[in-house]
Amino acid sequence: MNPWIAIGALAVMGVGIPLGMMAVSAILRPSVPEQGKSAIYESGEIPTGTTRIRFNIQYYMVALLFVIFDIETVLIFPWTVIYRSALESGVGLGKVLFPMLLFIGILTMPLVWAWRNGAVEWVKSPRATSRKVEGES
Amino acid sequence: MSGVDLASVLLQQNGSGNATGNATNATAGNATNATAGNATNATAGNATNATAGNATNATAAGPTSETPLPDLISGLLGLDGFGIWGDAVAALLGAFLIANVMLTMTAVAGPWAKRKITAAFTDRIAVNRIGPFGLLIIVADAVRLLSKELIVPEGADRPAWDLAPIILPFSALLGFAVIPMGSGIQLADPETGLVFAFAAASIASLGLVMAGYASNNKYSMLGGLRSIAQNLAYEIPLVVTAASVVIFTGTLRMSEIVAVQSQPLIEAGALTIPSWFAFVNPFAFVLFLVANMAEIGRNPFDIPEAPTEIVAGYQTEYSSVYFVLFYLGEFIHIFLGGALMAVLFLGGAAPPVPALGFIPGFVWFVIKIWAFFLFTQWCRSAVPRVRIDQLIEIGWKGMLELAFANLVLTAIIVGVII
Repeated sequence: MNPWIAIGALAVMGVGIPLGMMAVSAILRPSVPEQGKSAIYESGEIPTGTTRIRFNIQYYMVALLFVIFDIETVLIFPWTVIYRSALESGVGLGKVLFPMLLFIGILTMPLVWAWRNGAVEWVKSPRATSRKVEGES
Repeated sequence: MSGVDLASVLLQQNGSGNATGNATNATAGNATNATAGNATNATAGNATNATAGNATNATAAGPTSETPLPDLISGLLGLDGFGIWGDAVAALLGAFLIANVMLTMTAVAGPWAKRKITAAFTDRIAVNRIGPFGLLIIVADAVRLLSKELIVPEGADRPAWDLAPIILPFSALLGFAVIPMGSGIQLADPETGLVFAFAAASIASLGLVMAGYASNNKYSMLGGLRSIAQNLAYEIPLVVTAASVVIFTGTLRMSEIVAVQSQPLIEAGALTIPSWFAFVNPFAFVLFLVANMAEIGRNPFDIPEAPTEIVAGYQTEYSSVYFVLFYLGEFIHIFLGGALMAVLFLGGAAPPVPALGFIPGFVWFVIKIWAFFLFTQWCRSAVPRVRIDQLIEIGWKGMLELAFANLVLTAIIVGVII
C-alpha cells in the first residue's frame, strides 16, 4: 500500500475530529447575544485604538534570518543521508566532508554579519532605555 | 520546512516504487544499479544505497511493509482484494485508531494529569471528588467546555478566526502518521518519515499566527508575534540536531532509525546499554530537548501564552469548543515532541534492557512519551519563564551555533572512525 494513502487518511481524521467536536458543541451550547459580551478583552477597560498596531521591527529581522537558515537545513538533509554510506563505500573524507564544511562556513558569515549589526539583539525603545537610566541614577 | 515537505513528497512519488523494490533485494553492489534506475532523481538513488548499507548494520533488516498498521487491519478484515478502495478503508480505520489513542492520552493528560502533577509539586491534592482519583473530571470538563457559549469578538477576521483552531490539532495529529509506536502500530513508514514529521509539526505556527491576528485583540496579536519569533528561532537548532542523528543512521525512515538503535553499545557483564542516540551523543540529546521545549511552547519557553504578561496570548479571545481545540492541539503537540524524542534518541519502542522485552513495545513507547510530558510539567513548576529578548538571544546566539557545532563535530567524528 502506498504510505501516502495512510497519511492522507490521518489528515482526513485530523480535520474531521475538530469539525465533529464543533458540531457537537453547536448542538449543546446556548446562544445569548448581549451587548458588551463580544467586546474585545482589554483587562476590563473599554478597548482603545486599533489592534493593527505598529510593532517591533525585530520580528521582521529574525524572520529574514530564518529564511537563510531554513534553506540551509533543507540542503543539509540529503548530505546527512548519504554521508555514512559514501564513507563506507570508500569515498575519501575530504571529498565528502570538506564541501559541506565550506557550505556551512559560507552560511555562517551572514549570521556573523547579522550579529555584529545587531539583528539578533533585541531592539529596546530609546524612550524606555532613557527612563530606566533616569530611574537608576 | 515547507520546502522539505514539498521536496519529500515529490521524491516519494518519483522514486518510491523503484527505491523500495531495490532495497529489498539489494546488496552494496546494487547501489549503482539503483542510481541508474533513478537517473532523474539522484537523492532517491542515494537513499536506496543508504538503506542497503544499513540493512547489514542493523539487526532488524529493512521494513517489510510501508504501512504496517493498515496492512494488519486489511489482513484481519479481508480487505486485500478490493484494490485502492480496500486500501483506503483500511487506512481510514488505522488513522481512526491512531487518532483515538492520541485523543485518549490528551484527555487523561489535559484535565486530570496536568492538575495532579502541578498539585503534587505545590503540595496540594487537586481534583479528587468525581470518580476514582477524580478521574471522571475528564468527562465533566469535556461536557462543561463543549456546552459553553461561543463568543465571537467584535471585528474578528472571520474565516481565519474559525480555521485556526482546526489547524493546530490537525498539524499535531498529522505528525503521528509516521511515528512507530511499537507492537506494529505505525500508520505509514515512508522513506522521508523524519522530515515529514517535522514539516507536519511546524504547520502549527501557522495556526497560532492566524489565531493571534484574526482575534482583533492586542494581547492575541502580541502572542501570535511571539510564537512566530520563537518557532523561527528554535526550528533550525531542532532540525539540525536531528540531522546529526541522521548522520549515524543514514536514513530518514522512522522504522530504520529505531532499528539502528537496537544494537548494544556497551556490554558490561549482565548489563547491556543499548546504542540509543541519547547515550551515543548526549550533547545532541540535550540540545534537542531544549529546542523541542521551545518548539512546543512549554516552560521555560511558554512566552506565546505567558499568562502573567499577555493574559493568554493568541487564545485570549477563544471560548467554548475553540478553546478545547487549542488545548487539544497543544497537548497532542507535547506528545508529538515526546514521540520524536523517543524515536530519535530513546530507541523508539524498545525496552531499555533486553530482559524487559516481555512488556509490549507500545507500553514502552507510552512510558517514554509520558516521561517527556512529566518533564514538561516539572519544568512548568520549577523553571521561571525567559523574557522575549532572552529567548531570541538564547536561540540565535546560543542554540544555533551549538547545533551547527554538534553537526560538524558529529560528521568529523563519524568520518574519522569509519
